[in-house]
Amino acid sequence: MEILILTKRNIKLFFKDKGLFFTSLITPFIIFFLYVTFLGNVYKDILLTAIPKSIELSKSVINSFAGSQLTSSLLAVICVTLSFSTNFIMVQDKSLGVIKDFNVSPIKSTKLSISYYLSSIITTLGICFFGFLLCLVYLGITGMYFSFSDVMYLVLDIILLVFFGTALSSIVNFFLTSQGQIAAVGTIISAGYGFIAGAYMPIASFNKTLQNIIAFLPGTYGTVLIRNHTLRGVVEELSVQGVPGVVLDALKDSVDFNFYFFNNKVEIWTMYLILILATIFLVLVYILLNVFKKQKIS
Amino acid sequence: MNNIIEIDMLNKSFKDIKAVDDLSFKVKEGEFFAFLGVNGAGKSTTINIMCGQLKKDSGTVIISGHNIDKEIDIIRSDIGVVFQNSVLDGPLSVYDNLESRACLYGINKKEFKDRLYELADILDFKNLLKRKVNKLSGGQRRRIDIARALFHKPKILILDEPTTGLDPQTRRLIWKVIDKLRNEDKMTVFLTTHYMEEASEADYIVILNKGKVSTSGSPLELKNKYTNDYINLYNVNEEIVKKLNLPYKEIKNGYRISIKDTSIATELISSNKNIFKDYEIIKGNMDDVFLNVTGITLTGGDF
Repeated sequence: MEILILTKRNIKLFFKDKGLFFTSLITPFIIFFLYVTFLGNVYKDILLTAIPKSIELSKSVINSFAGSQLTSSLLAVICVTLSFSTNFIMVQDKSLGVIKDFNVSPIKSTKLSISYYLSSIITTLGICFFGFLLCLVYLGITGMYFSFSDVMYLVLDIILLVFFGTALSSIVNFFLTSQGQIAAVGTIISAGYGFIAGAYMPIASFNKTLQNIIAFLPGTYGTVLIRNHTLRGVVEELSVQGVPGVVLDALKDSVDFNFYFFNNKVEIWTMYLILILATIFLVLVYILLNVFKKQKIS
Repeated sequence: MNNIIEIDMLNKSFKDIKAVDDLSFKVKEGEFFAFLGVNGAGKSTTINIMCGQLKKDSGTVIISGHNIDKEIDIIRSDIGVVFQNSVLDGPLSVYDNLESRACLYGINKKEFKDRLYELADILDFKNLLKRKVNKLSGGQRRRIDIARALFHKPKILILDEPTTGLDPQTRRLIWKVIDKLRNEDKMTVFLTTHYMEEASEADYIVILNKGKVSTSGSPLELKNKYTNDYINLYNVNEEIVKKLNLPYKEIKNGYRISIKDTSIATELISSNKNIFKDYEIIKGNMDDVFLNVTGITLTGGDF
């Protein structure tokens, strides 16, 4: 009961705090703006320059190839960056002194921590699914090759990545105490995560050293999973429209459909395993941090 | 009366600064206790330790018969705190704020609504329930802070400078409510304030200086110990006042004569009936006590 009411309080607070809410939407707006201005054309050029000139592709599949990359970039980034913003309620409670009000009550700090985690997950999932719906509408208009299972896998990918992002943000936010720190971390995450998640340009286009470093970040596998499930139908359609397998393989590599850990291709199930294990590990660290903090105060 | 708060040899340092230094005092159940001191005297540190927000270095804190080291959760259920600055959620409504704070004490939905309307009646905020807290005036917000502190019917109400910056009407309302709680519910009130007039209503006062108790006692005891009485004598000339051989100073329409206590004043007036025709006897106030104990005047603004 307490956890439910506190979770409700955190969610309301996030949506009523216009500053936090609108700041959280900066990254998706930047990606969308970049897509409209030039990224959309870059994605289309990647496809058109890769295929033999003799093959004429339908407009729908070209649009879908670009649109699916926009969708995957948006989803991969907002699942993580939004979880930071929604979880900033935890930091704001500390910086505004609201936490004092909780600390003088008999509520267990574990319940407070769970309420922050839950509210962050619910809010982030809500916004991500809304964003996904908008992408589906957009793709439905311009060209969409999703099967029902692709959509279901994407729902699973979003859920996993949000759980991962929330666990990561809970740990980072645990150490923050001021509005200035919120602004600094928010800016770094918004700007930096889009880059390392390959939202602005594919990870495959980075130099080898950077690719190897990024391969150690569990969130990368969430991005690749989303990219796989948004592009699978389009790749299949490209094959139907006559694009040779060798070309398709090269194309898959160039848009992060395939991902390599030191030249070894990472299988889909391995990516799920990495993401799940990383999330469990981060949640355990978050729990330990809270237990350690409690011992320090009492 | 039993002691509801017992603090013994409490110590707390922040690096080289000794914020609380072998502090000991007791508060009786149902008492109105005033805890005075200038900023940095150690009042907030002591309160934070009592609420379990800050770890003490050494000493014993027993509240409601429970040791803070072992039963802090029980103690937290027994205290309600009104912080110096409001710590409610500004963007949320009064209703949402109180709902989220009530749940901290395991208060269910029905109990919440009953208590909400009871407090809204007492503190007169029924019409504010849907208003966002950050849209309320200082006085309105203070009433909600007090409602939040009282929601779980605590045995001890800790008020950390509750009326600073409030208008006289809100101050009156707040003190009316606190008096009611003391008289009807026998609630113990633990007050820190910069307004000496508020402290003078207390049953017992402790004045803190540099983390130590400088003095303690009832307001009357402190006034008797640390201040003189005064006789304001009107419509006389200075030559007559000089003949009394007592320290005096000129005031509007007369002179203020300083005397040790009321019995001497009575004696003086009886033996000089021809001089004392238009006069008043004034006891020293808490400002004088504070000034004489700490050498500092507390500035709480106009009361």
